[in-house]
Amino acid sequence: MSESLSETPQPSELVNSVVKNLCVLAARAWAKRWIITFTAATGVGKTTAVDYAERTLGFDHQVIRCKQITTRYTLLQALALAPGEKWTTHGRNWMRASDLYDRAIERIRQRPYLLIIDEADRLRLDCFEILRDFWDDAKLPMLLVGNEVLTEKLNRQHERLFRRIRIRFEQRPLREADLRKVLEFMGYTIADDEFTLLWKLVGGSPGFAEALLENANEIAASQGAKRGIEALEGALRYFPTLRAAA
Amino acid sequence: MRDMVCRALRIRPELAIMLFHRGLFTPEERAEFLQFLPKESRNFSAPSLGPVQFATLLAQGDTHLAARAVLRNCIRPNELEWLYRLLRFQKPNDKRDELTRAVERALEGRKGNVRKSK
Repeated sequence: MSESLSETPQPSELVNSVVKNLCVLAARAWAKRWIITFTAATGVGKTTAVDYAERTLGFDHQVIRCKQITTRYTLLQALALAPGEKWTTHGRNWMRASDLYDRAIERIRQRPYLLIIDEADRLRLDCFEILRDFWDDAKLPMLLVGNEVLTEKLNRQHERLFRRIRIRFEQRPLREADLRKVLEFMGYTIADDEFTLLWKLVGGSPGFAEALLENANEIAASQGAKRGIEALEGALRYFPTLRAAA
Repeated sequence: MRDMVCRALRIRPELAIMLFHRGLFTPEERAEFLQFLPKESRNFSAPSLGPVQFATLLAQGDTHLAARAVLRNCIRPNELEWLYRLLRFQKPNDKRDELTRAVERALEGRKGNVRKSK
């Protein structure tokens, strides 16, 4: 009995700086009705932060993941149609794209929400055009999340939307202690020499570190051994870009 | 030499042989692949790469070959998930974006090519 009481329970979620910053910016975008961009290098944990925000934000919001959005029509459908509803393109109740747009605007006006777009760097230009229209017509607050390409893409190719963005936040990679904490939270036990090598190779990118560690685990398992610094160095041969950095 | 065989001979031999065993090639390509495979690579029959190793090699290798492997169902679901993650770590370009989209469609259980209208 005393043993079970003395054990500290493992926290079910780890809120690191990426998650904190994204949630703060989401709240700011909602409160001020702003468009905000959140950019960070790949593997830092943006998508995990978006998942966390989706579950925990205390106001109306909708999350769109770009793999579901390939054209402006799919974007319109995601914003205008109720879950499960289909776009009737023929028959008695057929709807034009402009009808869908009007419906989405009406929905936003009646009940405003924050639109969070994950991997916004992958959106096509016509989708950015529609987002600008949503902001102009209904003041739809947005948080656009993506990698470094997002700012560059908006700056070069879509100046009209770029000028409407109030905050362009660039998330730095995790610090050394934070990366260690995240990896331990993910269930990896890492020796000091392994961590030093990992930090040198991937910096503050837990996603990259995970890929490297999993490769090292598989190499070690194929040799019937436990993962060590040799396996980690062996895993490097699968990542030519990292090998150059080493 | 057929294009696909040429590409397969340029990637790491363990990956090429694994794809060969998983039915990436047509019968004609199979014959040609075996004919041109270097002698030292013929020794190992079915290399045992783990899912992450396999996905990493695919992500780092030839995009065209990887796309064919995805469209021909030569990749298991857990390998597909890793391939998807690893592709996103790399610098995006048109070819890689199309491969990523093909992987997304495969993960959603949809088949078919994802050609853009020109």
